[in-house]
Amino acid sequence: MTVFKTPFNGYSVKFSPFYESRLAVATAQNFGILGNGRIHILDLSPTAPTLSQLVSFDTADGVYDLSWSESHDSLLVAAIADGSVKIYDTALPPTANPIRSLHEHTREVHSTDYNPTRRDSFLTASWDDTIKLWTVDRPTSVRTFKEHAYCVYNAAWNPRHSDVFCSASGDCTLRIWDVREAGSTMIIPAHEFEILACDWNKYDDCVIASASVDKSIKLWDVRNYRVPIAVLNGHGYAVRRVKFSPHRRNVLASCSYDMTVCLWDFMVEDALVARYDHHTEFSVGVDMSVLVEGLLASTGWDELVYVWQQGMDPRAV
Amino acid sequence: MAMRELVTGGAACAVPGSSSSSNPLGALANAIIGSSSKTQGRLQEIPTSTAAPSDSRFYPDTNDHLSALPGSDFGNSLQQPHTQGSEFLSGFRSANQNGFADAWDEIQHQNQIPPHFDQFHGPVPAALPQPTLDGPPQRVLSSFLHSFVGSSHGSIPFRPTSLPLLGLSEGDKQCIRDRSSIMARHFFADKSEDFINAQVNALLSSLEIDSDARVKGPLPGRFQELEDYWNESQGMVRPGAPAVDGWITEYSQHRAAHGDPDAWARSFEQQHGANGWASEFEKEQSQLTSVDQMRGVNMPNFEAMEQTRMLAHTLAQNNDPKFQNSKFLQFVSKMSRGELIIDDNQVKPATYGDWAAEYQQQYTRGPSWADEFAHNQLSHGPEQWVNEFGTEREQHGSIDDQWVNEFSKLHVDDWAEEFEQQVGENSAANWENAYDEFMNEQVAAKQRSDASRGVYVFSDMNPYVGHPNPLKEGQELFRKGLLSEAVLALEAEVLKNPENAEGWRLLGIAHAENDDDQQAIAAMMRAQEADPANLEVLLSLGVSHTNELEQAAALKYLYGWLRNHPKYGTLATPELSESLYYADVSRLFIEASQMFPKDADVHIVLGVLYNLSREYDKAIESFQTALKLRPHDYSLWNKLGATQANSVQSADAILAYQQALDLKPNYVRAWANMGISYANQGMYEESIRYYVRALAMNPKADNAWQYLRISLSSASRNDMLEACDSRNLDVLQKEFPL
Repeated sequence: MTVFKTPFNGYSVKFSPFYESRLAVATAQNFGILGNGRIHILDLSPTAPTLSQLVSFDTADGVYDLSWSESHDSLLVAAIADGSVKIYDTALPPTANPIRSLHEHTREVHSTDYNPTRRDSFLTASWDDTIKLWTVDRPTSVRTFKEHAYCVYNAAWNPRHSDVFCSASGDCTLRIWDVREAGSTMIIPAHEFEILACDWNKYDDCVIASASVDKSIKLWDVRNYRVPIAVLNGHGYAVRRVKFSPHRRNVLASCSYDMTVCLWDFMVEDALVARYDHHTEFSVGVDMSVLVEGLLASTGWDELVYVWQQGMDPRAV
Repeated sequence: MAMRELVTGGAACAVPGSSSSSNPLGALANAIIGSSSKTQGRLQEIPTSTAAPSDSRFYPDTNDHLSALPGSDFGNSLQQPHTQGSEFLSGFRSANQNGFADAWDEIQHQNQIPPHFDQFHGPVPAALPQPTLDGPPQRVLSSFLHSFVGSSHGSIPFRPTSLPLLGLSEGDKQCIRDRSSIMARHFFADKSEDFINAQVNALLSSLEIDSDARVKGPLPGRFQELEDYWNESQGMVRPGAPAVDGWITEYSQHRAAHGDPDAWARSFEQQHGANGWASEFEKEQSQLTSVDQMRGVNMPNFEAMEQTRMLAHTLAQNNDPKFQNSKFLQFVSKMSRGELIIDDNQVKPATYGDWAAEYQQQYTRGPSWADEFAHNQLSHGPEQWVNEFGTEREQHGSIDDQWVNEFSKLHVDDWAEEFEQQVGENSAANWENAYDEFMNEQVAAKQRSDASRGVYVFSDMNPYVGHPNPLKEGQELFRKGLLSEAVLALEAEVLKNPENAEGWRLLGIAHAENDDDQQAIAAMMRAQEADPANLEVLLSLGVSHTNELEQAAALKYLYGWLRNHPKYGTLATPELSESLYYADVSRLFIEASQMFPKDADVHIVLGVLYNLSREYDKAIESFQTALKLRPHDYSLWNKLGATQANSVQSADAILAYQQALDLKPNYVRAWANMGISYANQGMYEESIRYYVRALAMNPKADNAWQYLRISLSSASRNDMLEACDSRNLDVLQKEFPL
């Protein structure tokens, strides 16, 4: 069983895009409601199924999300509950970190996504209803996207078009943006409840998944967004995060407040591929390795980080 | 190895030409190149890439880079070319060849705080020092600090601190309120449980009173039909606020007008200059704050409490065993306990420290204002400011009074009725109960806050009045551990001899051990009046104020202890007493502990100080050192236990409390603390037994009654709640023998 115990409640886990064995975990004390945060950098042992900590960074408020830089193997961006965005160099000791602290959001920053194609900029989505575009080298944001009428929970870059991203908000809309345009280019009223997460298909740059408090995941084709391509039902509570497979066109992973992590194939009738029931509290973070096919990681409020191969039981010894 | 998998599995489904990070080809390329430098691999992969054509330069220069970034012309454009940025990145360029760490060191060493950068960014250096971790586990903190008053000693008049490190600030409360309400909407929007859903949401929206422009209201139009929503999102028109009552809207408007602290600070500065601040503040205070505080502070508190309670209630109704075992459920119910303590803090108007923190929290975002404030503090001196504030307070009377009166006069009935209509009778009844509870707590807290102002409340019908030697009798009873009896005898003594410092001191200790902090402080203040240099009194007051999260007062008394101490008096320089800072005081005590390493008292004070700064590991070490010197000091064991509980080592804490109880079986506080530690570990049945034992010894320990009630609900022993509410100890003791 490949598991790591964090002192605080897990909020997000991300595989490094550079090292197949490296992960970063964002955690927050007291379920993110009040208290400190900590970022753990973990390494998978090549021989034994264990996770060991390389370094950890403390923050004065909970860490809700993080994303690895796509251009520098040691950099990562953290979304902090106090509204700040901090950049860490994991090669440096905690005393020399964070190397940047960007204070513009006026509310909790809920997610961050590093541009995978341009590799020079990243997005943050915040409860202040805005999304901000940043570069690592500028002390202020490049742009602020303010159209959502409520908390923005997630923003994700299109994997093909370097200037396009989508955002998911509590105002029950998905929005598609092109940073070359002044406003959003598309508004999809995707759910009747708050939308907590969105992601682009890695092989079809027109397909988006949205995950909502209404317990469903919906797949949308931006060329025809009147009706969803597919609706994935099966989670028992709000779906917190959704992530397309970097390797399989039709596969996506999700995690939910029903404490499970699910794998789906949205093109087949019986879409639920696997349900992992290993967390004992809300599971809020899930990621799929880009470098190792089928390698999954999840974290949750039970303060545990699991890494496992698809098809295996995360708790198998 | 990944490469094998990529070649066999991953590459099969790769899309040629895709430049995505998720493209296995990219990874494959990396693997083949054998470099961790992904930039290299990627650049060869993307023929059209213009980002870094040459190896020598990351970006041609910053301006080019900016114009190269699409959409930047819509955003916040920089006024001038930003050279710092390219320097920042050029570090990486060399790093790509020579290793990142070296380059980083280089950057950091030569140019850690570029002034140019600073200009845009405020005082954030390239290598940001770790911020103070000031978000403690609040519940643990509060319950621990409550348990922390031991039997020790301390005194000096009251003064404010610039910003207390301890206590839930207004910001903390806002976090709890906002985050729990936003998250609650994610947890409970469950269609199959429409009743619960409607109940929680109706409650949340009823209670959602935006005391601050930044507060998130409930999402408008969430339950409307898709069509409605569509129109709304297109038109970007929000429907009217989900106002429950006119006054809420009115209040929000009022708030909005004053909402932006920066603007406020700026306009104020323009109008009055820096020096007008103090006087203007007084005016502002009388015009606004009494209203603002009343609604803006107390209401959200009430709201947070209600929300967490409802959350706990709703969660408890879920039949899924996984949810029943959820630590989150336990956390939420514990948080309602924490909220009670927030409420305690909040309701004590006498604590200037809290007030200052709140004020600071609300307005600190304007940096210019903060500077101004610091400047003013220097020139005016904080005392003056507090005096002003104090006078103001007296004129206005207790804000709580006003608030309670006004609230009950204006809104309760309408509001309750409306709420009832919305959610049906059942939940409305619950809500009303909760509301009654809240009002009772307000009243009780009000009474307690009288005590915290130093007014000692004597018992009625004291049989020891007229006793020939009540002090001796009291000392004897105290020694036997009959604390409640000892309190009565000592009260008789100080009624007879109001100037008897020893009588007051012992009375204070008896109250502290009996888990009644407010009375303990009141008694100790009297002891200090009678004998201003009594070391034990000074130390005790320092500890008590630490428990009450009043850093400034605690520091003052602990410093007073040092100054009046025959061995260490020389360390304390008089000029320091003008402005006490935590770092200075702790430094003095570290010096003292080096002078006389065998003096247990110094280690105790150090332990207390480390609790103030939340360095629990150091605090535990100090107390353990003191215990080696004084292994039979039961109050010291209790302090150790409380500190361990606070640093989330509840299991160790129980061992320490057990030591204290072995030494002093009637130590009510240790019994109650034991209960808290069990409750923190989720062992509610055990915790109930310890609370009941503590209450059997001192039925007046109000905190313990509240803890008991929470443990009863957490352990699903709702059948015993009535016995708890009616304070029927016979029933409880029969049901929960220890």
